[in-house]
Amino acid sequence: MPDATVLVIEDERQIRHVVRLALEREGLPVVEAESCAGGLAEAGRSRPDLVILDLGLPDGDGARFIDAFRAWSSAPVLVLSARSTEHDKIGVLDAGADDYLTKPFAVGELQARVRALLRRGRGRLDEEAIVRFGDVEVDFSLREVRRSGDLVKLTPIEFRLLGLLVGQAGKVMTHRQLLRLVWGPDAGDNSHYLRIYVGHLRHKLEADPARPRHFLTETGVGYRFRL
Amino acid sequence: MRHPILMPSVPAPSPPAFPVVLRRYGLAVGVCGLTAALIFPFQPALDLPNTVMLFLLAVVVVAVLAGRGAAVLASVLGVALFDFLFVPPRFSLEVSHARHLLTFVVMLVVSLVVGQLTAGLRVQATEAARRERLARALYDLARELAGAMSVPQVAEAVERFLLVREDARGRLVLPADQGPTRPFSGDDGLAVPDQVLQEVMASGNSTRLLRSGGYCCDVLPLSGSTRNRGALLVLHRADDTGLAPLLEALAALVVTALERLHFVAVAQAAQLEAVSERLRSTLLSALSHDVRTPLTALYGLADSMLTGPQPLPEEARVSAVAIRDQAFRLNGMVGNLLDMARLRSGRVELRREWQPVEEVVGASLKLLESALAGRALRLEGLGEQPLLEIDAVLMERVFCNLLENAAKYSPVESPIVLSTHDAGDLVEFRVTNGGVGFPPDRLEQVFALFERGQPEEAVAGMGLGLAICRTIVEAHGGQIRAFNPPQGGGCVAFTLPKGNPPPFEIEAAGEVQIDA
Repeated sequence: MPDATVLVIEDERQIRHVVRLALEREGLPVVEAESCAGGLAEAGRSRPDLVILDLGLPDGDGARFIDAFRAWSSAPVLVLSARSTEHDKIGVLDAGADDYLTKPFAVGELQARVRALLRRGRGRLDEEAIVRFGDVEVDFSLREVRRSGDLVKLTPIEFRLLGLLVGQAGKVMTHRQLLRLVWGPDAGDNSHYLRIYVGHLRHKLEADPARPRHFLTETGVGYRFRL
Repeated sequence: MRHPILMPSVPAPSPPAFPVVLRRYGLAVGVCGLTAALIFPFQPALDLPNTVMLFLLAVVVVAVLAGRGAAVLASVLGVALFDFLFVPPRFSLEVSHARHLLTFVVMLVVSLVVGQLTAGLRVQATEAARRERLARALYDLARELAGAMSVPQVAEAVERFLLVREDARGRLVLPADQGPTRPFSGDDGLAVPDQVLQEVMASGNSTRLLRSGGYCCDVLPLSGSTRNRGALLVLHRADDTGLAPLLEALAALVVTALERLHFVAVAQAAQLEAVSERLRSTLLSALSHDVRTPLTALYGLADSMLTGPQPLPEEARVSAVAIRDQAFRLNGMVGNLLDMARLRSGRVELRREWQPVEEVVGASLKLLESALAGRALRLEGLGEQPLLEIDAVLMERVFCNLLENAAKYSPVESPIVLSTHDAGDLVEFRVTNGGVGFPPDRLEQVFALFERGQPEEAVAGMGLGLAICRTIVEAHGGQIRAFNPPQGGGCVAFTLPKGNPPPFEIEAAGEVQIDA
């Protein structure tokens, strides 16, 4: 991915350095900004394919940047935050961020998240006919799921949920977003349904349902599918 | 502070004594006698009509001084004396002329009417004076209650108000949680059994207890808008029916004053709490941000060195690993401190939702990936548990702390077991390791703040983990304990209530699957 530019908006010089180092080792060109306003100007100039955004900027809480940025770009946004409340995380995700990483973070983890988001930005997975993860193969055109070659039976809701999660791989989906997409706008308070169905998918498709490798929990926030 | 129950400071009133009545009638007799004695020497000079006038004057005097009853007596006595002493035949009650009979009848009727009218005027004058005194006292009371800054001041004002009525006495009783209440001793008619007080306060209806000497004790509830604020006890004459509206007005005034004091106190407490809460969260988030920023840089820089394209010389690599791990541990400690500050700073606010335990444990294991790397971990019975209504974020901290502790205090090759057991209305979780276990004499203390199971040990930690676990588990209505199982190692067990899980309708059958 030679022409995928990443915009890093972070007011702390040392952390910006760490992020730049990690991205350049992935072969990604990096542009930097230190504030919300500077980030918006730089985004307009360089048209980044991915934005890494610190939440504790001196001139705004980051949600303002996402609002303005989403008005004209659908490039993924990865948020960096000191451990904040789940309420804040849901807030930036609802505003249009795709993923968040809690400080302090490992370089390897940052690189993996960036890769996943860039991959999703280039081509949506749910447009691909066949997706493979672990020993599972999902054929969306045939609506077929196989595990180690054996057919796995899914209910319609399980299949819809699987399609959503796989299609948004790398992105954190909040409970509310998933409930609305699977059960419709009237889903309301039935978030335990969502948790139970994710549990079903784990039991059918994960090697160890208690230690999932693909259907990951973002506690208090939602779920993230990792290929 | 003064005691909320005020003892009446003047002796209890007594019913008008028999001698008082006697004195009034004696006065009537005396005045009539004196009139007769004064007129007698001048009798030849005075006409009978003049004599009648003088006796009527005597009746007026008696009516003014001694009231209605005495005036009636004076009227009758006056007619009798007039007949006996002045009307011929003298010194006899006989009547010689019919015209004298008419005189007696007219004189009696006029005496009675004049006496009653005069006595009535006197009563009205007294009543007017008393009303004025009462109105002034009510006005003073209202002013005092409006300015009262404490409950004892209210009680004092009420007591003083009732003293205006010389035949009434009162005191205020407050609910037990509003101040120390000493059992009210002394038999002055204001001692009321506790049971009666409770009934009145609970029902909101006043009641009356009879006392000796024609007195009674009214117990009036002080019903506030949100709760009962006590009772008003008033001892007064049982036949004093005019007092009831006054007492009701008094009770209403007192309730208003007590409620005002109560809500002022509530408002002040709420304001204080809001201010300290704002200060606390500002401090915490500032600390959280300011400490984490350099830690993130430190951790990230060390990790960058380790993950760089060129491998580091061995010595540098070891140092970089140490810097990274120490930064990570420091971050964990800051996190624990902030958690504890949040949890201990007042109410723990739970965001409870129905959760499969397996998912919460799974998320904890993901967070502990590096801490538990290379450790054998056995999970037992997780998938079989029903949904539990828990705050997933906080329970994740509990599982993380317990599993991290279990790993920290046991040999690397020993297994860690996380098991769940059904315990009636509760679900019990156990985290067991293969270490040396807890000191048997400190099984309770390990949950205290800044206590460590092994004080001498070289394992790093601050003794916050288990204290945080206990706060969170107890906020969920569960209990936590530590023990050393007979087969060795240490174990921390905690329970969570099962509650009533919401209904879950299994999806109608209808497979998507189209067999190929």
